[in-house]
Amino acid sequence: MNEIVASITSRGRVLAALRGEPVDRTPVVNPTSVATVELMDLVDAPFPDANREPELMARLAATGYTELGFDTVMPVFSIIQESSAIGCKIQWEQKDNWPTVKMREPIYETPDDIDVPEDLLERPDTRCVLEAIRILRRDLGEDVAIIGKTMGPWSQAYHCFGVEPFLLLSLDDPNQTRLILERFKEATIAFGVAQIEAGADAVTLPDHATGDLVSGEYYKRYLQEMHHEFAERIPGPIILHICGRTVDRMDYIAQTGMAAFHYDSKNEPAESMAIVDGRISLVGNINNPETLFAKGPDEVKEEVWKNLDAGVQMVGPECAIPLQTPIENLRAIPQAVVEWHAAGGRPTTASAN
Amino acid sequence: MPELTEIANDFIRQEIDEFVERPDERERLIGLFAGAKPALQEIAAALVDGDDDTVDRLTTNALAAGTAALEVMDDGLIAGMAIVGVKFRENFIFVPEVLACARAMKAGMGHIEPILSDSGIEPMGKVVMGTVKGDLHDIGKNLCIMMLRGSGFEVIDLGVDTSPDDFLDAVEEYKPSVVGMSALLTTTMPNMGKTIDAFIDADLRDAVKIMVGGAPVTQEFADDMGADGYGKDAMACVSLAKELIGVETRG
Repeated sequence: MNEIVASITSRGRVLAALRGEPVDRTPVVNPTSVATVELMDLVDAPFPDANREPELMARLAATGYTELGFDTVMPVFSIIQESSAIGCKIQWEQKDNWPTVKMREPIYETPDDIDVPEDLLERPDTRCVLEAIRILRRDLGEDVAIIGKTMGPWSQAYHCFGVEPFLLLSLDDPNQTRLILERFKEATIAFGVAQIEAGADAVTLPDHATGDLVSGEYYKRYLQEMHHEFAERIPGPIILHICGRTVDRMDYIAQTGMAAFHYDSKNEPAESMAIVDGRISLVGNINNPETLFAKGPDEVKEEVWKNLDAGVQMVGPECAIPLQTPIENLRAIPQAVVEWHAAGGRPTTASAN
Repeated sequence: MPELTEIANDFIRQEIDEFVERPDERERLIGLFAGAKPALQEIAAALVDGDDDTVDRLTTNALAAGTAALEVMDDGLIAGMAIVGVKFRENFIFVPEVLACARAMKAGMGHIEPILSDSGIEPMGKVVMGTVKGDLHDIGKNLCIMMLRGSGFEVIDLGVDTSPDDFLDAVEEYKPSVVGMSALLTTTMPNMGKTIDAFIDADLRDAVKIMVGGAPVTQEFADDMGADGYGKDAMACVSLAKELIGVETRG
């Protein structure tokens, strides 16, 4: 059992947890977006502009620390930055909805069509992220951890080929599928490296080989080795994000060498911790639609404590939160962590309040 | 009661034995296949295997041999899809495999549908399906549509990013019994409620049953919005649609 260290900054706390080192208290981390409409209004940084203009992106991201009390900030609110830079058609939406790739209008049909631009990092929607990270580091200094995001090749393939065509191809032609992943791989690495160099302390790597779509064996067959390569080539901690039920692939994920796995509420904390068995840290898994969005602080705290009871190393929402999530529910996450540690375990005055 | 050994096709027999565990479903499928012609069992086997070329060929052969289109559909294609549905629900197979089976189903239905259409046979029911406004995700909706069609429903697919007005127009035009709405994003879930409100405002709420689904949607959310039903997956969607139109659901 590691000894608990003295109080440190949010950034130091997160970095220590990502390295598997002792912390004064469990960090509250958002590997994906905690932007809400309320926060957009508060700092006048609304969607869709906050996804495209560095100053607005940084201003909105900073609220994760300044308004919510999380130990991290995360400026990449959507999953479309690289796809937009590559040339996918984007529906940018308004303040109350995330921008989305028009996957019904895929831009590629075969691996030979893949044409990741050489100036990928100079395109407006990737450059925006890099610039926002620099602004956040400048404005927030060394106190808070900055998390970037680089999309994995499996997710990128959904965007560029369409979900159904790509999933069918994965069954029909494994070699072509691997070729596609291989051709997107360098973009994942390049954007990840660039964000670390811009000042990010870690990057989230979403790669949606989710249990809602494909089997755990699929993860092993197509992605495990590549994820291991990401862990080796991106010079900072990587937080892998895969939604849905993933216990059937956590053993494989734990062997990739990534620092952490951002896991979904469809997985029980204790069961998940038992599977990864200390080989990778877990971060999560407060339910979004049922708890953070629809319930109250007491229910949020209950889920936080369930994670802490299980020894989960970092807590936070399971995925990008609904844009209409009440702020008090988000603030309840760090409050619950502080209360749990102050009580030396689950506080006795639980959610019956 | 028929026994598993009465099913002629080895593959189908093994599939039922290995993957269908619920006694009621097992009994129903054994009864269904034991009474099906061997040639139609072969079609079902090819469908379960996701082999669209073979389904295409065998369906053509069965029809050419004089088997009624409805029988080919019921005992071959729909029966095969029943096994696929169980395997998917129980996580024996995942979406890529289901998509391959759907492709095989489509290959067979390409021969069946024109015949049924010409003969005026009524579908089990008519369903209008769409992903709600602001949401471009459709794989869940498409799986539901595939399962509904595979169960004998006629489905009008409104696609993604479907506004309340688009749903209303479709109800006016196609007169469905059921409207199904899907959402993947938590930001677009409320648009299900807005669409239901639009049905109320247009005085069309009582004209259709409304079912909802999608990864973040829950029974509680569906109830709060005033939906008639919630389906957690494509299999549940079929059972729900049958229930909403008053058709007995067996397994």
